[in-house]
Formats: sequence, structure tokens, C-alpha cells
Amino acid sequence: MIKHIIKFEWIALLRDQWILILVILFFSITLFAVRNGHEKVADRVSAIAHEREEVATQDAQTIAEIDSVERQLKALPSESWLDPRSLENIAWQSPRVVAMDPVPLALVSTGQSDVFTHYVKPKIYGEAYTLGFSELSNPVQLLFGSFDLAFVCIYLLPLLVLAFCYNLLSSEKESGALRLIYAQPISLYPWLLNRLLFRFFVLSAIAIISITVSLLIYQVDIASNLGSFLKLLSLLLLYLLFWFMVAFVVNLRGKSSGHNAVTLVALWLTVVLLIPSVISQLATNLYPVPSRIGMIHEYRVATTEARERADEILENYYRDHPELAPKDTTQENRYTWMLTYFTSSDVVNESIRPILNEYDAALARQQAWVDQLRFLSPATLLQHGLNDIAGTSTAHYVDFRKQVIAFATEWKDYFKERMFANELMKAEEVASLPQHQYSAGDITTSYEGDLGGLLVFLLVASASSWLLYRQANLAKVLITN
Amino acid sequence: MILSIARKELKEIVREGRFRVTAGVVLALLLAAVFISNQYYQSVNAQHAQAKENARSEWVNQGEKNPHSAAHYGTYAFKPKYPLSLIDSGIDKYAGISIFLEAHKRSEAQYAAAQDQTALSRFGDLTPDFVLIFIMPLLIILIGFNAITRERESGTLRLLRGQGVPAWKLALGKWLGIFIPVLLIVLPVYILSALFLANVNDYGEFSLGALSLLFLVYILYYAVFTNLTLMVSSLVRKSNIAFVILLGIWIVSCLAMPKISTALADTLYPYPTQVEFEEQIAQDKEQGLDGHNPWSAEAKKLDAETLEKYGVDSVQQLPFNWDGFLMQEGEKHEADIYFKHYQFLKETFHNQTGVYRATAALSPFLPTRFLSMAISRTDYTAHWDFADAAEKYRIELVGKMNGHMMDNSQTGDWYYTVGKEVWESVPEFDYEPPTYAAVLNNNSSNLLTLLGWVLLSSVGLYGAIQRLKV
Repeated sequence: MIKHIIKFEWIALLRDQWILILVILFFSITLFAVRNGHEKVADRVSAIAHEREEVATQDAQTIAEIDSVERQLKALPSESWLDPRSLENIAWQSPRVVAMDPVPLALVSTGQSDVFTHYVKPKIYGEAYTLGFSELSNPVQLLFGSFDLAFVCIYLLPLLVLAFCYNLLSSEKESGALRLIYAQPISLYPWLLNRLLFRFFVLSAIAIISITVSLLIYQVDIASNLGSFLKLLSLLLLYLLFWFMVAFVVNLRGKSSGHNAVTLVALWLTVVLLIPSVISQLATNLYPVPSRIGMIHEYRVATTEARERADEILENYYRDHPELAPKDTTQENRYTWMLTYFTSSDVVNESIRPILNEYDAALARQQAWVDQLRFLSPATLLQHGLNDIAGTSTAHYVDFRKQVIAFATEWKDYFKERMFANELMKAEEVASLPQHQYSAGDITTSYEGDLGGLLVFLLVASASSWLLYRQANLAKVLITN
Repeated sequence: MILSIARKELKEIVREGRFRVTAGVVLALLLAAVFISNQYYQSVNAQHAQAKENARSEWVNQGEKNPHSAAHYGTYAFKPKYPLSLIDSGIDKYAGISIFLEAHKRSEAQYAAAQDQTALSRFGDLTPDFVLIFIMPLLIILIGFNAITRERESGTLRLLRGQGVPAWKLALGKWLGIFIPVLLIVLPVYILSALFLANVNDYGEFSLGALSLLFLVYILYYAVFTNLTLMVSSLVRKSNIAFVILLGIWIVSCLAMPKISTALADTLYPYPTQVEFEEQIAQDKEQGLDGHNPWSAEAKKLDAETLEKYGVDSVQQLPFNWDGFLMQEGEKHEADIYFKHYQFLKETFHNQTGVYRATAALSPFLPTRFLSMAISRTDYTAHWDFADAAEKYRIELVGKMNGHMMDNSQTGDWYYTVGKEVWESVPEFDYEPPTYAAVLNNNSSNLLTLLGWVLLSSVGLYGAIQRLKV
């Protein structure tokens, strides 16, 4: 019997020209979305590559200049601070690129990637933790958001499900076929469920093929990133199945096609637009982000006080770190100015670090709390999961910021130590300057949580369909109505 | 006749559970959004007032120091939150709230709220504009998609036409039947926000005219959707199909078009990255005069020119502090560089705006969105205006400090210090946003597009009604 149902379902689908239109439409939309994602990622990759090239060119030039001075092919510049071997010059003029390279599936979801910068060049002056990390952009674009694959999956795909299934039962009733079907030796629930699942397989196949082909067109190496790709598909399929079950529940209520359509759109609106915006608003109001404005003030007061103290402290510093004091007291350290700067900035940092740390901790608590709210809607769960796969989630940018700060410290420490020793840069040392290697390894994936959340929503929808069916003798209601 | 049709339509709509539930939900959402936004607005405004006070007191009480050091110490400009952001918060959360003003450097506005929020906030907030611009058109569609198809399906259209009711009267009656409930939902929101805005002193200058204008824009926008809804309902035979088509129109114009235009604008006129932008500025700076580097070729040139102009042999003989003069000339040069590069950003922004304005012809959502933000002073133009005013203040502040040093101290005397009275002589940063006339003038194209939508959709509806078949 099931064979029959599926066979007729298949024939009916094939003969319906709407399906063909939907397939073409969905594929074009997916392709467009992947193109947009690809363009963003390509811009990001080329900007980073360009910066790295610049640094390489700069390094080659520095090596050449140092080399000519070392071999005495060129006279030393009159001013000591113009010496190409001066550590100060290298530290200031040859900063390294600290970049966040995109993961292979980054084009899936723009996430927070349009808000934050993907590479910085921390210098010897200034503190990395005060950097803004914001990307230059037209805020209107941020407001409207991107037309990316995540948008297609979260917003548009459910609508396709609804269009596929809103009249699954009602059309049979309206055409009178339901009476005939009920005359067959088959119970209604499995009949309807089988048809629904069949449609789920068809739509899933359309979605998976469209997405895979689009990704392949934009040269995403799916084979070597199969893990992430399967994660993407599993989240997507659960989300799709959830919407099919919702459509199933609405169908089982036995109302007219028009009624079903309106109900389903209202549900879509609630799950995809209303709940997320309410959650977001709740988060802003119930557990607000700590005030940046207040932090700026505290920060500034502390900086001013610390700077005043800093000047006195350099002397004490040498007393506490005699190993760093100039060895040869007859020869003045050429980096005295820089060293004074470091020492005073150390003092300033010590005073303001607690303020910034406290702020960051409060922010992290707030974000963790808000993160939990995603369990209130399948749409927010899927968004979270897709951002996680694309490496564009908030957690990824918070982690990148940490990596930048860590590298900036490493960079500074390297020069600080050598400056205290009053050294000069040698040509062969340029290649061994500290380098940053981005790794997203430290970020705990939220995949299991997001998947579990979606699964719970799916189970709830499935259970309600069964309960609804059990509650009323549906077949009778449908036929006598 | 028109009124009795409208009355019958209203009765039917109100009696229907579907309308009562959805309208109730929408109204509740709107009122909740206004209340929540009001609370949020109050807390942000209190923070802002405090911040402004702090910034001034830091500046005034910075202690004895050299005027140029004071210019380095700098101060902050905080972007005010405007009364109508209660209705439409626009780009507020994506734009920085404070600009650091210091010597030699124009800073970007920092600390955009969106940076501190998680990706969840990208779904949008439940603010009045979300309901008014995004959800209301859908409500109009839900109320009216079967206004005419229903009559046709039940055969009453034949009866109506048989009684000699002219098609346009029927349409007008139906139109009012859909539009009046919408007005009834929007009106309490208008009154409530007017009350909030008028009664709270913290809201600064509030103009009832601007609020009314804002709601007038929404009303025009709803008129477009009412026209489209009735048009489709009269052209299509079945309610189901009318619903699907209207839903498609809503998805395209409210959900997809803004994103498609964004992709287009971004492809055609991309912004430079933050690092690229900074490096281009740094490159230009290197080639020009640096106030802190008297040994550069540019500085030597200025040196010679100035000496010749005053007919003296050394900078010490000049009637002013040469260091202060050099510093100020460097500052002017740097300000020009910033002007040039920010002008480029502004051009990119204008080009992108051009893309949005062109695509507005395909979506009534876009002109409405931009007008609403502009009238609420939460659009990008308002942000630019503030940033430019802050930059002007920065140039004046630094100029005043360098000028003081130039006129009151000796060349080479870097130990010259002044105190509070000089800091107090610098006026506070007092920002006046552009007038509404300027705002409207700047948005005339959006206004025209929206009116064009009203006109075209009315003509379309008229045409569809004329060809109404029973």
C-alpha cells in the first residue's frame, strides 16, 4: 500500500508544474545566496593576502637595508633613530598581520563577519585591548543583513515547506477524494504521514542538491570538509522536518486550505520573526550589556592617574629588574625613550586592566545568558548552528580578539627584552620575528546543543500530531464535515 | 453605498476570529514595543547626559599642562539619542556612540551596541518600527486577501453587480473596510508615543509635527499595501492563490529586496576595510607636514618661507612660538587628509544610497524604511552629520590649543603650562542636528518614490476593478 501511496504522490508531484517552478526558484535563490557569501569571503581572503604580501615586501626591503649597513655598503644615517637596524623602527614599521582566516564553509553564514574586522596589525605603541575591532561598513547594510545561505535556510526554506504541504489533507477533502481514500483499508494517520515524509524527502533532496551544486560552483571543497558539511545538512534537515511536522499538525486539524495557509504563515512569522526579535529585545532590556560609556570614563580617570605616577616608576623598575638595567653604564641605552614608554604603559595597564577585565567578564556573562535564549526558537538555534559552522559566531570573534591581544603582547615582549639589552636587528633575524598563526581550535562547538534543541522541537511537533490524531476521530470529522 | 459596503466589510472582519487574534497580537506587540523602547531610551539618555558631563569635567579638570598636550589628552563627543528613535531606532545600534577628539587624528565613532551583542540580535529587535513597517503590511494582507475573491467564491459578487453597484464603489467600500481597522491599530500607538514624548523632559526637543509626518509616511505605505491587496484579490479567481501571490509580494518587498539591494550596493561600491583605510591615511600623512617632526623636508620648506615672510633670520626671532605654528600647520594638513579620505567614504556611501533609491522602485518597503529613519534622525546621514560636526569641533579645539601656545609662549619652551581657565575657555561641544526641512530635502527622492507607489498602485487597483469579472 505504501508503495502505491508513494507512486501516486510522485506522479502527482511530477505533473504539478508548481513544483518545477519552485525547484528552479529555489536553486536560483541558493546560488545567489552562495554567490553573496562567496564574494564576502573572497574579499576577506584577498585583503588578508594583500596585507601579508605587503609585509613580505617590507621585510625584504628591511633585510636589504640592514644588510647594506652591516656590510658597510651604505653610510649610517646621521640620526640614530633612522638606523634601519634600530629595533624601534622594526617594531613600528614592520608590524605582523594578525588575521582570522576564513574556515572553508565561511560563505554559509555572514553571521557577525560584517561587524568585525578580520585582520589587524598591532603595533608597538598603543594597546591591543583598546583596539576597536570594528569593520568599516555602511550601517544600513548591517541593518538589512545579508542575503546568504543562512537567510535562505532560516527564512525562506520553511515557506517552501508550507507551500508544499498546506493543503495536504484539505485538498483531498475539498476535491472529495478523501471519502474514496477512507473507503480503502488504510488508516488515515499513516497514510498522511507517509505522504508527508515522501514530500520531506523530495524537498530535502532539492535543498541538498541545490546547496551542494551551488557550493561546488563556488569551489568549496566539500570532500575535505565533509564533517562540517554533514553538520550543516543535519541541522538543516532537522529544521526542515520540524516545519513538515508543523504543517502536518495544522493539516490534521481538518480545516480548509485557505485556513491552513493563513495559520501556517502566522506560525512561520512567530517562530522566525517574532520570537527572535522578542528574545533580542528581552536580552537588551532584562540583562543589558554593561555600559561602554561608563567604562570609558573609568578608563580615562585611571589612565590619567597612572600616567602621572608612571614617570616616577621607571627608576623603581630598574631596581626591581636589575637584569634589565643598561649593563654598561657609560654607554647610554639607545632605546631609553621607548623603555620609558613601556614602563609607563605597564603602570597604566596595571591600573586599567581590572576595569577592562571586569567589563569583559560582565559582557561575557551577558552573552552567555543571551546565548541560552536561542533554545526558545528553532530559527535562532539554526542561526547559531550555522554561524558556528561558518566560523562567524560571536564566540569566534571574541576568541580572535584574545589571539590578537596575546600576539601583541608577544610582539612587544620580544622587542622589550632586546631593547633593554640595547641590541640592534640583524638581517638574518628578520625572518624569525614572532608570527601569528590563526587557529579556531579553542572554540567549543555548539553543534550538539543546537542539534539537540532542534531535535526537541521536532519531537514536540511530532508528539502533538499524534496526540491530535488520537484525540479526535479525525476521519469521521473530515468526512462528515 | 460605499459606507454600507465598508460597514459590512468591517463587521465581517471584526467578527472573524482570525482578525481579532492577529490584530490583538499586533496591537499588543506594538504597545509593548513602545513601552520597552521608552524604557530603553530613558536609560540610554541618562547614560548619555552623565557621559557628557564626565567628558567636560575631565577636560576642565585635566590639570596644568602644555596646551598641545591638552590637545593630545583630548575629549569625547557623544552622539545624542533623538526623541523619535523611540519609534524607529534605525541604524543606531550599528553605529558608534562616541568619538574621541584628539590632536592629529580623526577617530571613528566607537562602541556600536551591535558589537557587544551576540549574533542573535541580528534577527532584529521588537521595536515599534519592526511592527509598523514589517508586520503591518502582512496584517493588511491577512485582512484583505479574500475581500473580493470571497464574494466571488460565494456568488455574492454576482448579486452585488446585479444590483447595479458600480465597481469603483465596491472597491472603495472594501478599501475602507480594510484600511479602517489598520488605522484603529496605529492610532493608539501614535497617541501613546505622543504622550510619552511630550511628557518627558529628557526627550529634548520634540516636535509633534515630525511624529505626525512619520505616521503619515506609514499611512501612505499602508495605502500602497491595501491597494495591492485589493488589486490581487480582484484579479485572481481563488482566495488561496490571492494569498500566495500577496505573500510573495510581501516576502520580496520586505524581506528579500533590502538584502538584495545590499548585496548589489556592496558589489558595486564596496567600502575599504578598516586597515586599508587607515593605511591610506597614514601614507598621505607621511608625505606631508608633520607638526612633531621639524626635521622633515616639508617642515624645512615651511621654515624658510615663514622666515622670509617675516624678514627674520631664525625662528626664535618670530613674533610667535614657532613650535605652536608648526604644530598648527601640521594639524591643518592632517585635517585636509582626513577630509579627503572621509569624503571618499562619504561618496561610497552616497553611491550605495543611490543603489537603494533605485531599487526602491521595486519595493515600497525601501522608501518607507529610509524616510522613517530619516525623520527619526536615526539614519546614516544623521550619523555622518554628527561625525562631521565632531570633526569640526576637534579642529577648532586643537587649533585653539596650538594658537594659545603660539601666542603666549616662546619657541622651544615645551615646559610652558596653563590651567583651568584656558580649558574652560573652550566652548562645550554642542551639536544641533539638521533641520527637518534639510532632512526632507535630502529624502525627496524617497518621498517621490513612495508617492509614486501610492499613485501607481491606485491606478493599478482602478484598472483591475474596471475589469472585474463576476
